[in-house]
Amino acid sequence: MNQPKSELDRALARRRFIQAAGSGTVVLALGSAYVLSDELTREAKAQTLGDGRPRLPPGQRVIQALRPMGGEPGDPSPGAYRLRVHGEVEAPFELTFAELLALPQIEQALDVHCVTTWSVLGAKWQGVRVADLADRAKPKKSARHVIFEAAHGYTSNVALRDALKPTVMVAHRLNGAPLARAHGAPVRAIVPEFYFWKSAKWLTGIRFANHDEPGYWETRGYNNHADPWKEERYA
Amino acid sequence: MPDGAVSARAETKRRRKLNLRPWLRALHRDIGYLAVGLTIVYATSGLAVNHLKDWDPNFKQVSRTHQLGLPLPGDDDAAAKSALRALGVHEQPREVYRASETQLDLVFDQRTFHVDTSSGVVHEEGQAARPLLRAANWLHLNRGKKAWTYVADFYAIFLLFLALSGLFMIPGRKGLIGRGALVALLGAAVPIAYVLLSGGP
Repeated sequence: MNQPKSELDRALARRRFIQAAGSGTVVLALGSAYVLSDELTREAKAQTLGDGRPRLPPGQRVIQALRPMGGEPGDPSPGAYRLRVHGEVEAPFELTFAELLALPQIEQALDVHCVTTWSVLGAKWQGVRVADLADRAKPKKSARHVIFEAAHGYTSNVALRDALKPTVMVAHRLNGAPLARAHGAPVRAIVPEFYFWKSAKWLTGIRFANHDEPGYWETRGYNNHADPWKEERYA
Repeated sequence: MPDGAVSARAETKRRRKLNLRPWLRALHRDIGYLAVGLTIVYATSGLAVNHLKDWDPNFKQVSRTHQLGLPLPGDDDAAAKSALRALGVHEQPREVYRASETQLDLVFDQRTFHVDTSSGVVHEEGQAARPLLRAANWLHLNRGKKAWTYVADFYAIFLLFLALSGLFMIPGRKGLIGRGALVALLGAAVPIAYVLLSGGP
């Protein structure tokens, strides 16, 4: 014979239902996110770049938004911001944030690839081309490399010919919004042809050098060149 | 030579050999105590940093959008005061920065409000540190590369000592050739197999 359910039984049953429904929702949401992301990865794998390379480098998976990936944050204050362009140049200079904004701006949809295997495709970055900054600084003939300098001594190194490619820029907006602190506000470098650690966050300087200077991660076991299409992840 | 003398010498030799073990155990124990704190730092941070692509072990991220009523005062400071009052923020901003004709940035230590003065949309973004993990990660990644390098070197030497002394601390019935050797070989086989199977660096 069925006993009438007590208030406690009903409360427990309700709690079990809520727990099961909650768990189901979480599993469903995570599963959907995974399936959606895999769909993006499949689509990207089917595409090629203008030069014939696959759009998605080997071993990468597409996600929808950048992940912060740590780093020691710099001062996010636009008023205090200074960008030094110096080193092996004829005309070193320094820019405030307002002066950077006053330079010819570009907006580019670029793919970025993190060494930890995620990629974000087509994010819209706004800022100034490094090549335009170099034009103003006039690198000497002895300049062969560009060192991106950032807060707390972080650096990353790129060959001069790579740094002057039209896609390489210093960016202050992402997808129409000001760059978030976690992504290097107020200004970061974007070097889309290489793994994303080369795109120094909290950028404070662009130094032209006559010799290569492996940077923060390059001296900690990561590859000096860092081409995602060759999977140059580690040294 | 009488049998007794031979066996006495063998006994003395055996004792001398065995006398090393208490020293080894004492050193293993004390160096183990010394290494506890550093092991917690390195192991916790190792777990955290290993999964860097899944979460930010240093900061909790804040990203919110608010809507303000319009119009805002034309003067930047007055507009900032009005926006902060509407947002219920009582701290004073570190900086009020006019980034463009329509964008006013209100910068605080942990967060920034990007106010679109034409639409009244405010994007709040910032990050709050996870203090213990952040400190552990900072030590683990040795960002400063200064005196901590020496501490980390000593810790690595301690770990080597703990691993090697552990092999000899307690005598097995078959010496090194027994269960200990099997388990030690199994442990060594893991990285070797991984390198071989994955193709290595």
